[in-house]
Amino acid sequence: MSTGIFRTALFPAILACRYWLPALMLGLLLPFAAALAAAGDEPRVAPDPTAVSPGVELWDAVRERQPFDAGQVRTQPPGGERGVLINVGGEAWRQFRMQELIPVAARVLGGVAIAILLFRLLRGKIPIRAGRSGEKIRRFSGFQRLVHWTVAVLFVLLALSGLVMLFGRYFIIPWLGSEFGGALTYWLKRIHDFSGPVFGVALLVMIITFMKGNFPALYDLKWVFKAGGMLGGHAPAGRYNAGEKGWYWLAAGVGMVVVVSGLVLDFPNLGGFDRDAMAWYHRLHSIGAVAIMAVSMGHIYMGTVAMEGAFECMATGYCDSNWAREHHDRWYAAITDEKSPSDTATGLVEPAPEPSAATRQQAG
Amino acid sequence: MKLTRISEQPACQSVPTGTRTLNRREFLRQSGLVAGGAALATGLGAGMMRKSRAAEAEAPKGGEIRQVKTICTHCSVGCGILAEVQDGVWVGQEPAFDHPFNRGGHCAKGAAVREHGHGERRLKYPTKLVDGKWTRISWDQALNEIGDKLLDIRASAGPDSVYWLGSAKFNNEQAYLFRKMAAMWGTNNVDHQARICHSTTVAGVANTWGYGAMTNSYNDMHNARAILIMGGNPAEAHPVSLQHIMKAKEEGGARLIVIDPRFTRTAAHADQHIALRPGTDVPLVWGMLWHIFRNGWEDKEFIRQRVYAMDEIRAEVARWTPDVVEDVTGVPEAEVLRAARTMAQNRPGTFVWCMGGTQHSIGNNNTRAYCIFQLALGNMGVAGGGTNIFRGHDNVQGATDLGVLADTLPGYYGLAEGSWKHWAKVWDLDFEWIKGRFDSGSYEKSGDQETPVMNTNGIPVSRWIDGVLEEPANIAQKQAIKAMFLWGHAPNSQTRGPEMKQAMEKLEMMVVVDPYPTFSSVLPDRKDGIYLLPAATQFETYGSVTASNRSLQWRDKVIEPMFESRPDHVIMYQLAKKLGFEQEMFKHIKVENEEPLIEDLTREFNRGMWTVGYTGQSPERLKQHQQNWGTFDFTSLKADGGPCDGDFYGLPWPCWGTADMKHPGSPNLYDTSKPVAEGGLPFRARYGVEHNGTNILAEGSSNVGAELTDGYPEFTADMLKQLGWWDDLTAEEKQAAEGKNWKTDVSGGIQRVAIRHGCAPYGNAKARAIVWTFPDPVPIHREPLYTSRHDLVARYPTYEDRKSFWRLPTRHQSIQAKDYSGEFPIILTSGRLVEYEGGGDESRSNPWLAELQPDMFVELNPRDANNAGVEDGNMVWIEGPEGGRIKVKALVTRRVAPGVAFTPFHFAGVFEGQDLRAKYPQGSDPYVLGEACNTVFTYGYDSVTQMQETKCTLCRIAKA
Amino acid sequence: MARMKFYCDAERCIECNACVTACKNENEVPMGVNRRRVVTIRDGEPGERSLSVACMHCSDAPCQAVCPVDCFITTPDGVVLHNKDTCIGCGYCFYACPFGAPQFPLDGQFSTRGKMDKCTFCNGGPETADNSPDEIRKYGRNRLAEGKLPLCAEMCSTKALLAGDAGVIADIYRKRVVNRGANAYLASGSLQKGAFEALQTPPQPE
Repeated sequence: MSTGIFRTALFPAILACRYWLPALMLGLLLPFAAALAAAGDEPRVAPDPTAVSPGVELWDAVRERQPFDAGQVRTQPPGGERGVLINVGGEAWRQFRMQELIPVAARVLGGVAIAILLFRLLRGKIPIRAGRSGEKIRRFSGFQRLVHWTVAVLFVLLALSGLVMLFGRYFIIPWLGSEFGGALTYWLKRIHDFSGPVFGVALLVMIITFMKGNFPALYDLKWVFKAGGMLGGHAPAGRYNAGEKGWYWLAAGVGMVVVVSGLVLDFPNLGGFDRDAMAWYHRLHSIGAVAIMAVSMGHIYMGTVAMEGAFECMATGYCDSNWAREHHDRWYAAITDEKSPSDTATGLVEPAPEPSAATRQQAG
Repeated sequence: MKLTRISEQPACQSVPTGTRTLNRREFLRQSGLVAGGAALATGLGAGMMRKSRAAEAEAPKGGEIRQVKTICTHCSVGCGILAEVQDGVWVGQEPAFDHPFNRGGHCAKGAAVREHGHGERRLKYPTKLVDGKWTRISWDQALNEIGDKLLDIRASAGPDSVYWLGSAKFNNEQAYLFRKMAAMWGTNNVDHQARICHSTTVAGVANTWGYGAMTNSYNDMHNARAILIMGGNPAEAHPVSLQHIMKAKEEGGARLIVIDPRFTRTAAHADQHIALRPGTDVPLVWGMLWHIFRNGWEDKEFIRQRVYAMDEIRAEVARWTPDVVEDVTGVPEAEVLRAARTMAQNRPGTFVWCMGGTQHSIGNNNTRAYCIFQLALGNMGVAGGGTNIFRGHDNVQGATDLGVLADTLPGYYGLAEGSWKHWAKVWDLDFEWIKGRFDSGSYEKSGDQETPVMNTNGIPVSRWIDGVLEEPANIAQKQAIKAMFLWGHAPNSQTRGPEMKQAMEKLEMMVVVDPYPTFSSVLPDRKDGIYLLPAATQFETYGSVTASNRSLQWRDKVIEPMFESRPDHVIMYQLAKKLGFEQEMFKHIKVENEEPLIEDLTREFNRGMWTVGYTGQSPERLKQHQQNWGTFDFTSLKADGGPCDGDFYGLPWPCWGTADMKHPGSPNLYDTSKPVAEGGLPFRARYGVEHNGTNILAEGSSNVGAELTDGYPEFTADMLKQLGWWDDLTAEEKQAAEGKNWKTDVSGGIQRVAIRHGCAPYGNAKARAIVWTFPDPVPIHREPLYTSRHDLVARYPTYEDRKSFWRLPTRHQSIQAKDYSGEFPIILTSGRLVEYEGGGDESRSNPWLAELQPDMFVELNPRDANNAGVEDGNMVWIEGPEGGRIKVKALVTRRVAPGVAFTPFHFAGVFEGQDLRAKYPQGSDPYVLGEACNTVFTYGYDSVTQMQETKCTLCRIAKA
Repeated sequence: MARMKFYCDAERCIECNACVTACKNENEVPMGVNRRRVVTIRDGEPGERSLSVACMHCSDAPCQAVCPVDCFITTPDGVVLHNKDTCIGCGYCFYACPFGAPQFPLDGQFSTRGKMDKCTFCNGGPETADNSPDEIRKYGRNRLAEGKLPLCAEMCSTKALLAGDAGVIADIYRKRVVNRGANAYLASGSLQKGAFEALQTPPQPE
């Protein structure tokens, strides 16, 4: 007994062919049957080419998952979405991810990177106008630095692993091969999955720890109009300038959205989260993540090599007083002139060292 | 799929029987298949870091792959199965494209049979309940203890106190042997699933025209122009039959009508669905006939020639006017007329029924009404017509034919002295010796005569619990039943679950012989007295099996018996040896290594079953058919050319005469358009030649080529002499046939000569529309015992109670007297699911099937659900009028009409809300457990066969 | 070259689930993973229809498009296979697939779902050695390599599920549609009656 593809695939066709003669006769007889039928009673034959098959409505209803028109939809294997026959949302998501998210993300992230590069090339490193004073002011506590760097490291991990998940198939797999590339992506995803909740906790702490000083004020508008002093002139700023405040709230708000949506994505199909839900959370997560990554590039540039005296703030916790005077004048004024108890108590301001002749001269 | 051995173990190791399993399971595990899930379960992904060394993959080790032909062991369609076996392990299943019944198709169960070769949840070794704990014992110990206890009971209470409950899952040879064993033991307390399945069919149909089996075949339905399915859901119970029904629909334009209280999956493909009130089959059929007679659509010539007493039916039908029909059945006139017209205008039409029609207290009336309908339309004896009765289990037809029944011997010979003498001759045993094995007392009278117990019906399986619990003085045998064999029989398919629990607790000993422990092992609260003996499935042995269309098919053995299981006939031999009658039982059966030779058993029943023509199907012919599946035509089942040229597939019985005669089998019964030698037949002359002065033989109708062109009685030696055909017999034949008739001539000569002259050995008579030996000669309607329409009881009352019927008091009227419909307003019915089969322990132990139906449920109409405050998925209590109650999940659906609820009967393992999983022997609990619906179903038995009434009772449903 | 497709004839499907268990059987699919399933619409009402659904081996496969590690391969026969070694279990293919074909053994757990599993059209996996122990363990049996068709379709009880070359299947189905239309026409004078009549609720009696 042969079991070739020939036999199995054509077998039903052969079977059907056995009845070609009756089928042909049937076809030939149809007009006569119609005539006979018509001859007796009034003609029942009235094929209406414009009549819509009721099947159209039914299948539309199935695709839209409307239980009323599709009746009860059941399937035997148990489990959340087994009963869904056609998931239309999946194609929409595919279009989103492949035709929108990836190209747009590439352009946005690439654009920001290039913009920063250009800015650097054109503007160079921004020095402290008055030069270093040598006097150190306490800017961030140890705890704040710990939190910030935790968040930062985790963020970089998450960003890089997320970028691999987003773009990996275009360079990781072709360059490293599917075996190694797949394994690498798998581990990066695992790191991403586990880092996410930890990042979430750290982010929450950071939101609380850095909240004071980040509330908007009227003078922030001036800073914005002055473009932070980039175009020359003086831009007023408190402890945090408007740009930093913007970054803070963006990181807090969008960051939490990314964290929460990430938590949902971390528990696939748990409880009531079906594919549609997961796809929506994925949209939130990816759009939010790209937005934060784009702005973070700016923040990282600004916080590291963009200007003299910036990095040491978060690295050591202390900043140069001239730097503070230039970039955060109102904060500097508040902590040096008024020495409010709360400031001292929080250890934000070191008791001023015996003023040297030079600084006293300048302050005066 | 091709498993490949990747371990270093040598292909064949000789290991003791007990550890052979280790090899196979290690084998499977090492090929990474059984543990496939486990490998995927770790987050790391087992194959992830390993390079896929495709180029270095090892060539598959292990021996060559053998293909074994067998038949599915689930339903009676009898689908062909190709099993692929490698090194004794069942590694694959291929579709049997050339098998004439299924052409490679299967249902969920048939596509999953390979799991029998895994058998994770099988009963693995003989087990005894000792002080409430399941204890493994050896076969020897088991057989010795069981045998000793049986002999004890025999000595103190008599042989009738042991009940031999057999199985529709025996193959033919094992079924035959089982009946013989009960006879050797000396009791008629032997029965099987047919009792609760199609016993009313067999009784009603056989008493109408001669044989009680499917008259045509699944394949013959291709020729039908109309198909009426009443009380059957083949889309779930016989899925592959839908292949044939749909072929008829699509290629032949056949109309499909489904009559069922539920809108079943079969109804979804029908042209018309009629939902009737459960239990009102006769009114509906008479309602259809009312229209047929009124319009003159009946086949008058056919009736004149081949039907007796149709006028009495006309008189009864005349009372069923459309308004009365609508009142009783709930079906409006337009629907009834439409169905009647469809059947009348599209002939030939076929009538299919299953449990919906049979499982009633008036089941025999229902089945006869269906037959009369077909007789009226002249749809009998034609291709595309007939009454196509879809049997249940794979070999319930065979087990019925081979007589695993309390009221007959193999071949429907009955229990009269003449029958015993016939079989004594076939068995080559002294009749007196057999008689001496029985209780010599008498507990029943026939007229004034005391009837010996040997000649009285035993207790049927539907009533076995009463045989235990009833007052011994009320039972027509020496003492109550004290020991019970549940041999391949699940208990949750019988009604009155709480009483069954009591009966099981009262027994002195219960022996379960089954591949699975079954519900019997956990239902009773006992500390001891239960033995579980692991039987092998039909894939672990070989033999013949009879499909619903009467074809016999040969199975080959796929794998050796798993774990410590033994084939049923081996167990029977060993038990017979212990009980001391193996010499007599196996007098002409070769026994090698304690296994009786199957072919010898086939040959023995070939020598004895002349009544139904199980004589021409020798092992050799059947094996030849098996090897040539593809040569049989898909519609006619006839081999055109090839080694089986001229035969019909499976030599459907009656296959007259000896195998040498090479009768081709009878594909469509009662077909007079063919000569008898080519499978044609008239109606059987079974009821005498005249009744009340009227001739009841056929008039002017006879088979093509018959030398007797008018009706004739059944053939006897004397009749041959009168006809001058006696000398056509050979000398040996004459010797055997002298003074005998076509049923008792063991040479087969009378049959041969009759057929040679174109005549049917069993005569040529009219079918009778009235059965004057039945409680209701004309089939009439009687309300179910528990009816929702108590107002109709006055017009359509049930039967009087009977003091002794099949040895037991049987109640009818005393139960119907009380009106329960107020407290129990919902009609409860039961039925099948495609994923499970029968009692369900076998299929619920198959993970591939169990996954698809994890919960027992009740289908409830939204109206009733809302009235009870029940939502889809809620747990509910179903309570019946006899006190049984079950806790199940509600499935709210419009599939059932308001006022009707449906439960599947396949579940077991939970009793009245209590999960009994912990009570199963370790490792042998099925994956899925659930309440058995028959815990709630109630008393109610057919007036002729003691069939249980599982299609209509009452219940109330409340949120749990 | 043949273009492999599935087609399930809803007029014939009786929800017998043979395709489901045949797949389990042939590929030793563990409990909880359902490569194929039968979905019934209008369950219990006139117009009830069932469809057997598994991977449809799309020509423009969404799963293939969104996979972050590009682990899908379309064979010359049009069968969409995937590489379990590369798969990272992210589930994107499941979000994108209209038919819910990708299955995960650890669904619901934290982070990883395990390696994606789906219908392979009984064509195994990307390994070059057909029916090697590796391939069988990971993907199930490779029937196409032996010249056979997927077992689900071969074992369908009513030949509702068809699998094979798209042209051949289309031809078979077309013949059935013609038959059904002809029957409906002869019975009632309308080509669309009968087959679609039941889809209107309630059905109109004659």
